[in-house]
Amino acid sequence: IIEERSFMPCEDLLYGRMSFKGFNPEIEKLMIQMNSRCKEEEIEVDDKMEADVSDEEMARRYETLVGTIGKKFLRKRDQRVQKDEDEDEDGNSNMRPSKKAKKKFLKPQD
Amino acid sequence: AGGGATGVAGGAYWVDSQQKRYVPVKGDHVIGIVTAKAGDVFKLDVGGSEQASLSYLAFEGATKRNRPNVQVGDLIYGQFLVANKDMEPEMVCIDSSGRSSGMGIIGQDGFLFKVSLGLIRKLLAPKCEIIQELSQLYPFELVLGMNGRIWVKAKTVQQTLIIVNILEACEYMTAEQRKQALAKLSGN
Repeated sequence: IIEERSFMPCEDLLYGRMSFKGFNPEIEKLMIQMNSRCKEEEIEVDDKMEADVSDEEMARRYETLVGTIGKKFLRKRDQRVQKDEDEDEDGNSNMRPSKKAKKKFLKPQD
Repeated sequence: AGGGATGVAGGAYWVDSQQKRYVPVKGDHVIGIVTAKAGDVFKLDVGGSEQASLSYLAFEGATKRNRPNVQVGDLIYGQFLVANKDMEPEMVCIDSSGRSSGMGIIGQDGFLFKVSLGLIRKLLAPKCEIIQELSQLYPFELVLGMNGRIWVKAKTVQQTLIIVNILEACEYMTAEQRKQALAKLSGN
């Protein structure tokens, strides 16, 4: 026989802090958490936050972003080539057949 | 004094009787009033035979540099860490995982009053009618301490006092009388 002094396990009491009609929203959230330990139905809380930027806009932004950052790492000559290409594309429908290849380091041949 | 109820729940038996004096029990959540600040420890009055101690580090996010802003006279909602008849009771405002989960300093305003322990148990029962009926009236906040103390806060002083009066009167009102009183109020 074990003696228990508290009433908590006997009567399955609720949590002592409560708020009603949205007086204190944090406590209301807490109430749902605490009381879901009882055998009652758990109220599902919608965790999805509203996005400030829509998914479409995000995709569009990323598309151009990759190009912009990529340009940063090009060497100077390649930057000029890219710029010419862009300008040309607006004017001509034909793409330049020869694109200047990236100049690699040439090993001295003995 | 007075009768009580006995109950059985999964192998446990208990005897419930009316009593007004609270005896600190480990794990109980209570409302304490800060009576003194002694260096790193606060002394709280919880309505028991002696005062409980509460360390300033027993709050969520408290460090030696970052002390909680507790003044004498503040209300604290916490639970007992240590509570036996041989030692001074000790309270904390943090649970075993280190989160405050609603415990800590109870905010400004509001009204604190005392009721019998039996009423607290009635109010904390799952699906308590009193609480459900009151929650329909107007928005308010309620903290129930197992030591017989209740703290209420509503938008206006008048609303707060109405809730206080209903809770105090629930002690002896029957369900009928209570429903009548609430009907009158919600009619206003």
